[in-house]
Amino acid sequence: MLHGFELFSDIFVLRDNVLLRLDARVKLIAVLGICTTVILSTRVYLPLAMLALCVAAMLALGLPLRLIAVRLAMPLAMAGVLIVLRAFLMGTTPLFTLRLFGWNLTAMREGLMDGAVLASRVLGSVSALILFSVVTPAHKVFAALRWFRLPKTWVETAMLMYRYIFALLDHTTDVFAAQRARLGYAGLRRSLSSMGTLAGAVLVHSMEQADRTHEAMVARGYTGDWPHARLGALQGRQVAILAACLALLTAACFVIERWA
Amino acid sequence: MSAEKQPPAVEAEGVSFTYEEGTVALRDVAFRVESGEFVALLASNGSGKSTLIKALVKLLVPQQGAIRINGRDLKGYSAKELYQQVGLVLQDPNDQLFAPTVNDDVAFGPRNLGLGEAVVEDRVTTALSWVGAEALRERAIHHLSFGEKKRVCLAGVLAMQPSILMLDEPTAGLDPAGEAQMLHLLNRLNRERGITIILATHSVDLLPLFADRIYVLSRGSVLMEGTPAVIFTNHDMVAHASLRLPYISRLIHELRHFDGVPIEGLPLTVGEARQRLVELIPPDLIVRTITEKRP
Repeated sequence: MLHGFELFSDIFVLRDNVLLRLDARVKLIAVLGICTTVILSTRVYLPLAMLALCVAAMLALGLPLRLIAVRLAMPLAMAGVLIVLRAFLMGTTPLFTLRLFGWNLTAMREGLMDGAVLASRVLGSVSALILFSVVTPAHKVFAALRWFRLPKTWVETAMLMYRYIFALLDHTTDVFAAQRARLGYAGLRRSLSSMGTLAGAVLVHSMEQADRTHEAMVARGYTGDWPHARLGALQGRQVAILAACLALLTAACFVIERWA
Repeated sequence: MSAEKQPPAVEAEGVSFTYEEGTVALRDVAFRVESGEFVALLASNGSGKSTLIKALVKLLVPQQGAIRINGRDLKGYSAKELYQQVGLVLQDPNDQLFAPTVNDDVAFGPRNLGLGEAVVEDRVTTALSWVGAEALRERAIHHLSFGEKKRVCLAGVLAMQPSILMLDEPTAGLDPAGEAQMLHLLNRLNRERGITIILATHSVDLLPLFADRIYVLSRGSVLMEGTPAVIFTNHDMVAHASLRLPYISRLIHELRHFDGVPIEGLPLTVGEARQRLVELIPPDLIVRTITEKRP
């Protein structure tokens, strides 16, 4: 089953809310600030507080829990792997021992703590990015990135990738359904073969799509440079909101790291 | 004092094109469209109509022959000059809509022309209003329906303000209402704004309503050229090109051929067929009572 909708759908950026109305540049700096603070934190409290805050904000904005869970599934899996690897490979103080296929695996306290910090950093920063993605339409993110003077090629490639994720996802879903309707996924061997064919078909389709899109761009005057309207300067109110966000973040960081 | 004769909008002479793998797509094609005409390239799949359209806008360079746009050799045009005069709408809207939002996509062409932001805004507004898509302006492309995507594609090209519009299968994938809406829109652009329309299609039913002339292509060659009435009365040629008559014409043809109903000529539209059939019915048998209900 393909979970394209849960992973990529951006219908939530169409819902009006206070975060959506904020300038994308303000949100971008704020989310980068959160990620930096979370990554630099030495204990789990601040990252976990950010995770809780972001999940609560998403729920308050009306995002279904299932969608949040699907989007957090990948970072959660990574967090699990980090905790397990660190716990069994690092540290000196034994916590417990597992016997697996004749091997004794001992989890260490220091490794577990270190793994928990790393895992909390992953979850805290990814949840902030997910919140950012559901309150900021992609085209505004691209406009903000251009305003921050990120390399043009990078932003344009990201724009095309974003546009064609959905077109290729539709194609993938169609091919998958066609394979499934002819028992392409009955049994492990057939499934593996069908998956390979699906990947090949999507790759070929994406290359053909690229050719046709390039022709369409050339037919509208494209010569290798994609012109855009530039955003104006940030308004005073938006700057004040950004300053308040960063001050709050610093205060939270100070309080949690010092007293937690 | 006589007015100077305007050169044809598009003229192709002896155009031949063979793909690298050896497929001969066009053979000695001659093609001429006057300014302000609505011309259809009618052909079955694989007959070379998309290749011809691409050759006419310089996306493919034919190995032989000459193409002139507004009287000037295509080779002499820079991309910027050419695409201000000729707009191309591709068959699959996903090929043509590459920007994240409708506004960005429609503005792509005018911005490439180096126009100021106020002019770009104005062109986007105008183009979207022409295709009735003003309400879609801030929408993400992937949130549009297929018919909406088709209209936005057209708006993106109209924003370049071309005098010639070439469309590859503009009605493919549309439902009957969408098909009629698209052709009415093209007809309006042609009649009201004077835009020369060249459309490649194999959809025959609605063409007689809109097309001034039709070119029939088969296996890369022009089989015949003429008005819809001339084209569709040549049944052998239509069959040879793997095409068919419009359904209404076929019904009339079979009524005449198999049932001996004395209908003159070959009506191509429902309106013409209705007129001919009514002429055959004795006046005293026609009940001319129209009850109009108003709320």
